[in-house]
Formats: sequence, C-alpha cells, structure tokens
Amino acid sequence: MIPAARGDGSRAGGATPPARPPAATAGASTSGRRRDDARAVVDRTFRAESGRALATLIRLLGDLDAAEDAVQEAFVEALRTWPQRGVPDRPGAWIVTTARNRALDRLRREARRPTREAEAGRLTGATEPGGLAPAGPGAGLDGPSGEISPVDDDQLRLMFTCCHPALAPAAQVALTLRLVCGLRTDEIARAFLQPEPTVYQRLTRAKAKIRATNIPFRVPPGPLLAQRLPAVLACVYLVFSEGYAASGSDDLIRHELCDEGLRLARLLGGLLPDEPEVHGLLALVLLQDSRRRARLGPDGDLVLLEHQDRTRWDRHRIVEGQTELARTLRVGPAGPYRLQAAIAAVHADAPTWEATDWSRIAALYAALARRAPSPVVELNRAVAVAFAEGPAAGLAVVDAVADDPRLAHTHLLPATRADLLRRLGRTDEATAAYRRALGLVRTAAERAFLERRLAELEPP
Amino acid sequence: MRYLALLGGDESGVPEPGTPERDAIHRGYIRFAQLAADAILSGEALLPGATARTIRHGDGESGGVDAAGEPLVTAGPYAETTEVLGGYYVLEADDLDSAIALAREIPMASHGWVALRPLVMWQGPADRTAAPGTRHLAVLYGKESAGDVPDTPEWDAGAAEHGRFAEAAADALLAGGALHPIDTTTTVRVVDGEVLVTDGPYSETAEVVGGFYLLTAPTADEAVAVAARIPTNPGGAVEVRPVLDLGPDVAPPPRA
Repeated sequence: MIPAARGDGSRAGGATPPARPPAATAGASTSGRRRDDARAVVDRTFRAESGRALATLIRLLGDLDAAEDAVQEAFVEALRTWPQRGVPDRPGAWIVTTARNRALDRLRREARRPTREAEAGRLTGATEPGGLAPAGPGAGLDGPSGEISPVDDDQLRLMFTCCHPALAPAAQVALTLRLVCGLRTDEIARAFLQPEPTVYQRLTRAKAKIRATNIPFRVPPGPLLAQRLPAVLACVYLVFSEGYAASGSDDLIRHELCDEGLRLARLLGGLLPDEPEVHGLLALVLLQDSRRRARLGPDGDLVLLEHQDRTRWDRHRIVEGQTELARTLRVGPAGPYRLQAAIAAVHADAPTWEATDWSRIAALYAALARRAPSPVVELNRAVAVAFAEGPAAGLAVVDAVADDPRLAHTHLLPATRADLLRRLGRTDEATAAYRRALGLVRTAAERAFLERRLAELEPP
Repeated sequence: MRYLALLGGDESGVPEPGTPERDAIHRGYIRFAQLAADAILSGEALLPGATARTIRHGDGESGGVDAAGEPLVTAGPYAETTEVLGGYYVLEADDLDSAIALAREIPMASHGWVALRPLVMWQGPADRTAAPGTRHLAVLYGKESAGDVPDTPEWDAGAAEHGRFAEAAADALLAGGALHPIDTTTTVRVVDGEVLVTDGPYSETAEVVGGFYLLTAPTADEAVAVAARIPTNPGGAVEVRPVLDLGPDVAPPPRA
C-alpha cells in the first residue's frame, strides 16, 4: 500500500496543519485581513491545541485513528468558519467540541452496523469506553452548554500510552512527537534524519499495536507508575537532547526538538508535581537550554562550554531551572536526572570555566556513575577530575574505561584522551588520538572543532 | 480481551522429573493456576520438542510435498533451536497491563520468556471428557501474508476455510485460536526480580505462529492425520505436540 494514498488520517489527515495563510498585503481589504488573521489564529491554535484536543478526543472516543480524524475535521471546519464568524472565545474547547460532534455524526451514520452502536453510546456517556481502556468518566464536560474543554491530564495519559514498554523505544519517541506534540510525519522524519516512509510505517505499526493489544490510556496506578515513568522521562529527554546535540546532522542544534522537549518537560512538571525526577528532568532541560544560543559561534560552529560567552546564557532559564532543582533537594536520594541537573547548575553558577567547582562536579559524576553506570559518564567524570586534580588524574579515569565496547564506535573516547594528552604535552599521542576521533565523529561542527585542534598541534 | 501467552525457553535447562527443582517449578504453576483462576481460559504444558511431529505443506511450486502430493511429515519440532515452546495459556484480561501483570507470574517468565499476543478469535473449548484420547497442541507456522491481517477479505477467506475444517474435524477439536499479526507480540521476562517488557517476539524469524488448535485423538498418528487437514498459508507448517498432563491443579479444565 502506498502510504500517501491512505485517507484514514494517519498521514494525509490527522494532525496535518492547515496551509499557511498568504501574507497580508498593504492593500488588503478589511474583510480580507480578518480572514488572514483568522487563518493565522487557526494555525497558532493548531500548534497550541492539537495535542491537547487529540488527547481528550482519544479518551472520549477510545480510538486513536477516529480521534485523529475528528480533530483534523474540526480544524478544517475552523478554517472554513472562523474567517466569517470570528474566532471563538475558547478556541481549544471549540475544537474539542466540534471534533466530538463530528465523530458522533459519523458514528450515528454508521450506527446501522451493530458494532458501532456501542461506540456511539460511549460518546453520549451511555456506556463505558472500551478500546483504549477507560480513564474516568465525564472529565472535561462543561455542563449544560455541552462545550467540552481539553483536559491536560489526558495529555499525561497519552504520554504513558505512547511510552508503553510494549512499544519499541523509537516508536515511543515518534508517537509522542506525533500525538502529543502534533508534529507531522515529515517533520519527525526530518528531525531524526530518517526516511519519511520509515517513520510513517513505525507510527502505523505502533498505533495498530496499541489498538490490537489494548494498551491502556491512563496514568499507571500505584507502584506501576514508578516502573513506567523512566520511559516517559527518557523519551522527553531524548527529544530535547536530539535537538540540543543533534546526532549525525550538519545542523548542530535542532531548535524545534529543543522546544518540544522543553514543552513536554514543563507539561510533566505541571502534571506530576510529586515526582522528584520529573522536576530533575525539567531542571536539567532548562539549565541546558539556557546555553542553547551560546553553543553556536558566529559561523554556526560548535562552541564548547569552556569557550562559551557566558553573558549569552539565558538567565531566566537558569533561575527557573535552579528553582525546579531546589524543589527536589530534600526529597530522598537523587536519581539520574536530578544529578545531571545538579551538574548543570554548578556550571550555571560558575563565573568562568576556570573558576568552576570541578571537585563538586567530579563528585556528582561519581554519584551518577553509581546510580546509572555508563562509560560516557566516566568520560565526563574524567574531564572534571582533570580540572580538579590535573590532566594526569583525568587520563587515569579515561584509561580505565578505554576497552569498554560501548565506546568503540563513538569519537568521545579518543577526543577526550586527545585533549588530556595535549594538555600533558604528549603531542604525538594527542595527534594520533585526534585522528582516531576524526575517523568516528558524526557531526560536521564537531569535526571542524577536532580538525582545528589537530591543526594547532601539527607544525605548519 | 483474550491473549495467548506462549511459554518458551531453553529445554536443556529444565530439571529432571522427580527432582526438588522440578517440584518447585510445578508448585509455581499450581500457584499461578490459583492466582489466575479467573483469567485462565485454557492452558497446557507440552512434552519436549523431541516428541513433536511437523507437517510441511508445499508452497505450490517446489518442495514440501511427497510424490503423491501429500504434505511431508517429519519428526521433531518446526524450528530446530534451543528455545522451544513449552506450553501456553489463553488469558482473559481487560488490557495489556493486566495481561502483563498475569504473565510475569508464570514461572516460565523467570527462566525463559512469555510472549503475549492478542487473539482475534478464540473458539472453545469443548468438554474434554466427551472425547477420550490424548490431547495434542497443533501450532500453525508460516510466513505472514495478507490473510494474517484481520478485517481484510483475505482474512475472511482464511477464516471461512478454517470454519470448514473445524466443522469436518469437530469430533477431534477441543479449542482453537487465531492470532493478531506477529507485530502485536509483547515479550515478558523476569530478570533478577525485575519485569522486562519488550516489543516483539523473543526471537525474530520469518516464519511465525499464526494460530493453534487443541485437539484430541486416540493415537499420535491420528492426531497428525487431523492436523494435516488444517489449512495453512502456502509453504506453511503445523507442529503437533502431545500435551503433558499436569493434572487439574495446574491446568484447570478449559472454559469458554
């Protein structure tokens, strides 16, 4: 089957945003301008509301595809009627209500098919939802007016559905971006440098599995929450870090992924206020994001933390991140996100690279290595140790993980070694290590950085 | 919702009957039968893979049939791997989380794997006392095709074929089930007390389980004769394995 030929909303329909409005010209008539304004509002509303609306519709309909179709129809309707009648006071509620009504119309038309009767009944509140398992009746109903507001808890439910362990991690990320963030399939494909049909097929399969196996639409209850939360946090952090340090891409930063990752982290922070690691994740994302602008030099090249212009750090993000982190300080032993956020906070506090509290950072990395052992964490600890105690001490930490097979295919190990050898004055070994790193590095900007360092070592 | 839980693991690691280790596993299954009494619709343990016989159908072009055009019957299980099927349960559960919560309690989840797949159809089961003989499990293997996707005309055609077989072989059939495509599999394992849930089957192969019948026959040869009439995909196969009767404590009589 040709994906593009499908008319079921998975691709052509679903959350495809309406066409951008044509730029308003100086001579446009008043009504023309109002029409353009309304289109712009639809466009903005789509970005802001499609994920929320979809999540609530999934709860009401108990079916992913039907919810995607209904939300798409509601946006088409908005594009048709808002330019004439004006934008409703509560655009999000209008979209949800219209989508619900469209779905109801369709089910009534199909009600002659007996299996559909139950679904129509569910929409009018007559029966319990099936399909996606129920998530509490009636939430979001606004009383006699019949208008239905989107419910933020529904987005949380949807995130747990998207990040269910029965779905492959790559599918979890794609589903979250598609359904919670409202990104189109081609946008997800571009963000992860994957062919669009691959992403399309991954989404289609994952949605089919959700339906066939009845993956529940709910926030996991009791002890299950602790088991399932890490996958949700990992997914959100992956979205952010793919944007912040884009792998295999010539763009060093993919701003749309940073923005979506931050948005998801904020959403989680608001909806799971009692989970310390949720605030740890939000703090980490905020503190890293505060340096987003400073990571790019004037020519779009990578600027390492060491050389960043600290006046370009976003102070609002830093304060917000530190506040989030402070909320978790007295709650039990820190998990991996809180520890990473604490490391980012030490950097944020430091006036210069040299004046950073490297002993504290080395200690935090050691705690992180105990919590979540990883050779990459050890490499980072090596850098901190090198500044706190000298490059030779750092090199000893690096050499202890040099044979770890998990580092065999990344440039991180030779690049870190090269820098420490350079600082120790062991030029020949440093040159060889830079060459090894260049053979493994994936992004153009990091390649340029390593080449510069290598050129500095080699006599002209 | 009904889920098929296929139990698999390394057969060579199974303790000998009569040993305390084997008894402990047996008690684990008794415990599961009590714990999941309301959810178990059917369940059987299988004799070792060496007792299996496999019926291989031709793909219409080459191989798989003997000179008389009959399917080939070979000794041994369908797949020659150390990870073999050890048994199954059909479980009734509200959603996948409930099914996972049951699957993790199956002893095989701790020393092998449990693969959960939603059932499209579950027919059964007939009262086994009415049909004397030995129970056998017939498992359908094959490459997935268009007919393995529910709600398609190809599926309906296949279902009709199975309906005709079920009618003709009614006396021998105790139960049967048709599965959603292999993509809907979720594997559950318990490692160091921690539940690991992963997408997909335990091992990826081109030939996958598409459905199964529980049948009864006076002799193994007759069980194979019945299984040879089961419709399969072109080039498909049916593995027939005698059931290991663990008594009513472990495998309560199947229910509808």
